[in-house]
Amino acid sequence: MSIHNEALKRSGHSSGKHAPAPHPVALETSELTVAYGSFLAVRGVSLSVRRNSIHSIIGPNGAGKTTLFHALTGRVRPSAGSIRLDDKDISHTRDDDRVRLGIARSFQVTSLFPNLSVQENLRLASQGRTPWQALAPWRSINHNKEAMATAGEVMERLSLTQVAGRAAGELSHGQQRRLEVGMALAARPRVILMDEPTSGMGVDDIEAMKELIRSLAADHTVIFVEHNMGIVMNISDTVTVMRAGQKLVEGTPAEIRDDPEVRRAYLGNMITGDIA
Amino acid sequence: MKTINNPIFHFFLAALTVVCLPLFLRSGVLASEILIFGLAVAACNLLLGFTGLLSFGQGIFFGVGSYVAGILLTRYQIPVPLMLLLSVVLGALIAVAVGWLSIRRQGVYFVMLTLAFSQFFFFLAYSFSGLTGGDNGILDVPRPVIAGFDFTNLWSYYWFVAVIFLAVFALMLRTTQSTFGRTLSAIRENEARASAVGFPVRAFKIAAFAISGAVTALAGALHAMLIGVAPLSSIEYHTSEIILIMTIIGGSGNLFASLLGAGTYMLLADVLSTIWPRWLLLLGVALIVVALFMQRGLWGLIETLVSHITATSKRTPNAATERPLHRQADGGKA
Ligand SMILES: Nc1ncnc2c1ncn2[C@@H]1O[C@H](COP(=O)(O)OP(=O)(O)O)[C@@H](O)[C@H]1O
Ligand SMILES: [Mg+2]
Repeated sequence: MSIHNEALKRSGHSSGKHAPAPHPVALETSELTVAYGSFLAVRGVSLSVRRNSIHSIIGPNGAGKTTLFHALTGRVRPSAGSIRLDDKDISHTRDDDRVRLGIARSFQVTSLFPNLSVQENLRLASQGRTPWQALAPWRSINHNKEAMATAGEVMERLSLTQVAGRAAGELSHGQQRRLEVGMALAARPRVILMDEPTSGMGVDDIEAMKELIRSLAADHTVIFVEHNMGIVMNISDTVTVMRAGQKLVEGTPAEIRDDPEVRRAYLGNMITGDIA
Repeated sequence: MKTINNPIFHFFLAALTVVCLPLFLRSGVLASEILIFGLAVAACNLLLGFTGLLSFGQGIFFGVGSYVAGILLTRYQIPVPLMLLLSVVLGALIAVAVGWLSIRRQGVYFVMLTLAFSQFFFFLAYSFSGLTGGDNGILDVPRPVIAGFDFTNLWSYYWFVAVIFLAVFALMLRTTQSTFGRTLSAIRENEARASAVGFPVRAFKIAAFAISGAVTALAGALHAMLIGVAPLSSIEYHTSEIILIMTIIGGSGNLFASLLGAGTYMLLADVLSTIWPRWLLLLGVALIVVALFMQRGLWGLIETLVSHITATSKRTPNAATERPLHRQADGGKA
């Protein structure tokens, strides 16, 4: 169980950095419910995500994983329940304000600014943390040196530097998926949510993404939805299984792999990944 | 394409237009109107082309500017610079109100709301005839005399307008190149992502409305002084329509396209109306052609032509490898 040791090391490391001992739970939901009309896509989900842990959410299509992310990031309003970030209620905070509080996400369906360059996409994503500065029509785009630097770093990290000047819409599918994740990184969040970051990626990209997610946990709380069980079982500290809008079970990768109900939900043989 | 879509080049083209209009046009009214509508169309373009907001309310702001000029100059003898400043402020304030209420709805409903406001302000102007002169408008709006400089002559007034035009055009170019302008583009491209990335989208749209309303009201005030009347027609729905048509004819990608759209419309209208009283019919046909075959407007046509010319002149054996390198070099500026 080296994962657990790593997780312990990580949390020990981070509590030394933040001056007053931070709340051990980064993000917490209580009985969270989201309705689309009369249909409940998420039903009474209570989650508790430890600071700087890697928490994955799995479950069949239509389980409500993306909707849960929409609720956590403020894209949709929950119809019941609450969300707490660092022990502060953010249930009624707008999505753009949540970015300032330290939550950023990537989307399952790639959502970029297709006619703007890669570098400009990332600069905007970084500028989003201090958006009121951008309201000044006399400020040049180079004004925010930090945003420019962040865009550069993220491009390096995701091997997008060579295509910095290309319009996002012209990139290959794999590059667009990497930029999608980069958009979340550029916000320098404390809690990062990634919705199926590896979907549609080639083998090499998947391996790189796995390492990226693992490395993020050093200074981020990572929540991600993933269908690739190899990744889920390999790098998660905690796995939550959802089905039909509800939380089915939650536990360490080992516990999840051996859970009879999960095996039934996944028709037995879908969970194949090794545990490192 | 980078070379012809450079803001400094666009400013140069605008300045060139300002200098050339008096050489080719005999009517100072027509020349001034091209610049004045150039401003109003650029302001419309900031909403349509840069932010993705199709506003049928631009006539409101134009009419407000026109009435500010009419009322303040004929009844209160307010100095022209102060009057222009007040028209800009009032235009911005009303645009904030119209924008704030309209952007609560998206797409067609947004457009309908701006249309409804346009009707509302027209009836307001029509009803408060004590203030606006109702059907007659406000007559005898004087042209300015500032610090001993007399701009009452048509061509000297043209230069008065030209200086204001170039200053405001430069500021607007700067706006479109700023972080603000880029954020507007991001909102146009993908509003949901702009919001997810942290931008308070509504505030940005309202700010775009404010700038658009301020510039359009300025144009309205300049127009009232040009024709000597603040007519009811300035605040009519028809004014909104003309401004939108000019914007679409020119092309919505950049601000010089707006001056091109305004100029083309005014010149066509001038020529056609002397040939045939039913010239608006021909204009309708022209608009259908634009909508069907040149959706990026006249500027799009120019872009296509230029890229054809440069493509033929640059057809070298290694043309294929040239392109990505060129793009890469652009990365820093983009
Ligand atoms: N905007 C929407 N309106 C109505 N129903 C929706 C909407 N988005 C998702 N749903 C429904 O909610 C359920 C959960 O969807 P989703 O959260 O996307 O699941 P997952 O990400 O786990 O595949 C599905 O049944 C889906 O059809
Ligand atoms: Mg999903």
